[in-house]
Amino acid sequence: MARQDDAPLPILPPPDVVESIADAMFALSSTSRVNILMLLRERPCTVGELTDATGMEQSAVSHQLRVLREHRIVSVERIGRRRRYALHDEDVAVLVDAALHHVSGGRAVRRADVG
Amino acid sequence: MAVVEAVFTPPAGRRAVLDRAHVGDVEGAFGTLSEAAVPPVRGTRARLAALAAVLGPGLVIMAADNDAAGLGLLARAGEEHGTRLLWLLVALAPVVFVTQELVLRLGAVTGAGHARLIIERFGRRWGMFALGDLLALNALTLVADFVAIAFALGYFGVSHLLAAPIGAVLLLGLMATGSFRGWERMMFVLLAATLAVVPLLLLVHAGGHHAGVAARAPASSTLVLVLALVGTTVAPWQLFVRQSNVVDKRITPRWLGYARVDTAIGTVAALLVAAGVLVACAWAFGATPDAFSDAGGIAPALRADLSPAAGAIFAVLLIDAALLGAAAVALSSSYSVGDALGFRHSLHRGPREARTFHAVYAGFVALGAAAVLVPHVPLGALVTGSQALAAILLPSATVLLLLLGNDAEILGPWVNPAWLNALGTVVVSAMLGLSTAVIAHAVVPDAEVSVGAVAFAALLVVGLAAVVAEHVRRPRAAMTRAERLTWTMPPLDRITPPRRSRARRLVLVGLRAQIVVAACALLARAAGVL
Repeated sequence: MARQDDAPLPILPPPDVVESIADAMFALSSTSRVNILMLLRERPCTVGELTDATGMEQSAVSHQLRVLREHRIVSVERIGRRRRYALHDEDVAVLVDAALHHVSGGRAVRRADVG
Repeated sequence: MAVVEAVFTPPAGRRAVLDRAHVGDVEGAFGTLSEAAVPPVRGTRARLAALAAVLGPGLVIMAADNDAAGLGLLARAGEEHGTRLLWLLVALAPVVFVTQELVLRLGAVTGAGHARLIIERFGRRWGMFALGDLLALNALTLVADFVAIAFALGYFGVSHLLAAPIGAVLLLGLMATGSFRGWERMMFVLLAATLAVVPLLLLVHAGGHHAGVAARAPASSTLVLVLALVGTTVAPWQLFVRQSNVVDKRITPRWLGYARVDTAIGTVAALLVAAGVLVACAWAFGATPDAFSDAGGIAPALRADLSPAAGAIFAVLLIDAALLGAAAVALSSSYSVGDALGFRHSLHRGPREARTFHAVYAGFVALGAAAVLVPHVPLGALVTGSQALAAILLPSATVLLLLLGNDAEILGPWVNPAWLNALGTVVVSAMLGLSTAVIAHAVVPDAEVSVGAVAFAALLVVGLAAVVAEHVRRPRAAMTRAERLTWTMPPLDRITPPRRSRARRLVLVGLRAQIVVAACALLARAAGVL
């Protein structure tokens, strides 16, 4: 960010990469999805846990989880008959942390403070 | 270095969509409109350019209205009743315009598809019922379209074993570009091919038959034929595919004026093609007492009665109609599945970026092709079944549509005005009356017309009373034109759920009862036939 003003600009990434980035950001662009990610940031959860914690309807939670899965923001694992959802990878955790950091005016926010 | 903080008014760039590809520039077949462009557009040339870019969903979806089944019914109406049923087509044109304008408005203002709006505003049960019924009906319609393709290619000596794969490859090819513009351009090519009705009319006219009025009068089935024509003119898939296509085309309220012109042009164009087919068949067969068989029998009959050229033109028209219809129907399935379940659903995306969307489309196309290839499929029963299912679904679909059109939470300043609600009530009452008449036909065969008329009158009185009550109660929205043009629905998870009122519950329970009664009556009739 702190480059010189006359530094040459980089070549843009290929269009499909740009599209994918915009898609990933789209997945973070709804309040109910942000709420779900804030919970998953703490630990993996089942749909039931997410429903209780957000106060949303179960079908609405499932719907948003489907959107998040399609954008590879969360992943699912089966434990017996139950499905448990988690952030897809460490990059997503960083992205969510950075978003929180950004909107809270640059103050460092530790996970335990929000959960 | 000073950082300039931007100031946004709330709606700017905050349009809620279910797929990111639904925001951006309008990329139409005939031009582009920047996401940042704001009307009023000044100058005739600029206006025409804007219209050219917006043109598409209305024209294409309404042309698909005259699909293979529609063409068959029009041919039959012309053959059996001469030009006598032309009034019905003219009377249906405003109905088509009103319903299509409403789904256009819903799409442009909410940015959500029809299935999602039903789920959000009437609950999951209604949503899943509407989706399930739509998919079942779509599967049957696709079979009918593929049967027509097989018939029409058979006219040119192509075996049906080859015709079904040819149709499937053509339909998959429409989606292959993975770009909205590419898809729309190919649909416009199919649309242009419907102009073949003009040489057909000229040939038939030159053939010298044109008696105009049919010799036979098969009055017994007139009511069923009328309902079938109404049913194909206002089919549920048209509502779903049009609304999603408008969203996918990235039409926002600021372009609604242009999109309404697109709707009007589409209505008139579809009406002219439909009237052309009806008149051609009336002129060609009006004087000859051939028994009508089906759409596939028309082309050979034209060849025998008139000339090989006339037969060939009708066969081409039939292939074209079937492709247009099948493309729109399969697309309505994949749009609605993505919209309801949360998968990406956009023509801007190729198969790799929207797997479910393209897989559902391909699945429906494969199903249609398979039905033609697999021997011993009761095709006639399937087509009859699809018409029965459409008759059951149509009333509830139109009532839900009218309720959505009055939902201020989702439409804001764009809710239906009073005159449109009055007109909508007349249309919906007429459809429910017709549908009641058909059900009554199964139970009391002699009194079906009077039962239908009573139902129509009763519904009209109740409906108009409800419209008056709604508009007396409704507060006047004080909004400038600019505010209206930028108003879009807030994200779905932030809007308040619909107000629970006794009237609303009564309507929804009534609709459920209507569906159950209609299904039972038609099942009883089917059992009686067996």
